Amino acid sequence: MILLPSLLAAEAGGRGRFETDAATIAEALRALPVASLLLDERGELRPLVNVYVDGVDVRERDGLDTRLQGSEEIRVLAAIAGG
Amino acid sequence: MSRALLVGTRKGLFVVRDGEVDGPLLPGWSIYHAVRDPGSDTLYAASNNFVYGATVHRSSDLGRTWERAEEIRLPEGSDLKLNATWHVEPGPDALWLGGDPGVLHRSTDGGVTFEPVVSLVEHPTRDRWQPGAGGMCCHSFQIADGRLYAAISAAGAFRSDDGGETWTPINQGVAADFFPDNPFPEVGQCVHKLLAHPARDGRLWQQNHCGVYRSDDHGDTWERLEGNGLPSGFGFPIALDPTDPDVAWVVPEEGAENRVTADGRLGVYRTDDGGASWTLEEDGLPAPAWLAVMREGMSFDDDGVYLGMQSGSVFVRSRDGRWTEVAENLPPILSVEVADWQ
Repeated sequence: MILLPSLLAAEAGGRGRFETDAATIAEALRALPVASLLLDERGELRPLVNVYVDGVDVRERDGLDTRLQGSEEIRVLAAIAGG
Repeated sequence: MSRALLVGTRKGLFVVRDGEVDGPLLPGWSIYHAVRDPGSDTLYAASNNFVYGATVHRSSDLGRTWERAEEIRLPEGSDLKLNATWHVEPGPDALWLGGDPGVLHRSTDGGVTFEPVVSLVEHPTRDRWQPGAGGMCCHSFQIADGRLYAAISAAGAFRSDDGGETWTPINQGVAADFFPDNPFPEVGQCVHKLLAHPARDGRLWQQNHCGVYRSDDHGDTWERLEGNGLPSGFGFPIALDPTDPDVAWVVPEEGAENRVTADGRLGVYRTDDGGASWTLEEDGLPAPAWLAVMREGMSFDDDGVYLGMQSGSVFVRSRDGRWTEVAENLPPILSVEVADWQ
């Protein structure tokens, strides 16, 4: 299950939850209707977009190559920047 | 048909109409510029988010629902990436989009997809361009007399006589005082806003980092206009009178190192003689005041001039010269565009 914050949910037509059976985080994010807001044109995660898999930042694992088993909760969050 | 003001702010788009404020539309997005295409009646917004990047939204139902453009890319192999979308300009055959880093895109499917204008991305002078304080933004795009005009801060102004296949720098006579060793280079000028007069062939106006200028030959040469009533040559927006090519309005600021309206007031200065002289307009405008108007913060039509400020107020100038505040307490205003509304 992928969970999106409110702005992204609005951009996804009002949907904040998406099921996924992707094998990796990259595959899961690319399938979303908001993929271009999460990934830059080189396909990399935008610097202020954080993605957590079962509470762990994917940047602390294998980044976009982080493997998925299918039952994880994937939460997309905007990084806290500023005050 | 009535009139509406599309007010782009750091916190979404607002529509000011008949004394009412509707919004925010596109909450969470900074709207650098929004426009209604008079051909299709579609609303377009150059929208940016500091987390999610730069895009263009469009609405065919007056802002009730929005769709987002597909990813806006730069040419394959380019080491550039899109930092911001700045200005959307509907044309007869395409929708044009100016952006950062000094790039132009074109859409021929109503804003669903955008293709980069490669000739500008790969312009042979690009290595002499540099970003201004707002980034290296292509903030002005005009279609006039069958020609295209693009202005980039700080690369200067460019004209295409062949539909965008090639671009000629048009900066002769425009100062770049920040290059003391070469104050009149071919490119590198910091143009802040460029407009083509809709009724006078070849007449262009520009507010520059280093002065206010007018051209009567499609930009081949420019005449510097301040020192004759203006408190400063520094400012960002410029507005025209579509019925009189000799009329223009600017909002001078103290200068590059103190970017606030000059003389402790919101002073709008008008010329009616092609820039030979300028007169302060103050009727209805606040003073004392220390304000800022962004480069897209003025618009105009046959009925008046429209002004939005960083402080969140919108003023309208009627034909009799009086300014009236029509909205206040909006988020910091980035852009104002007048549009027909129904």
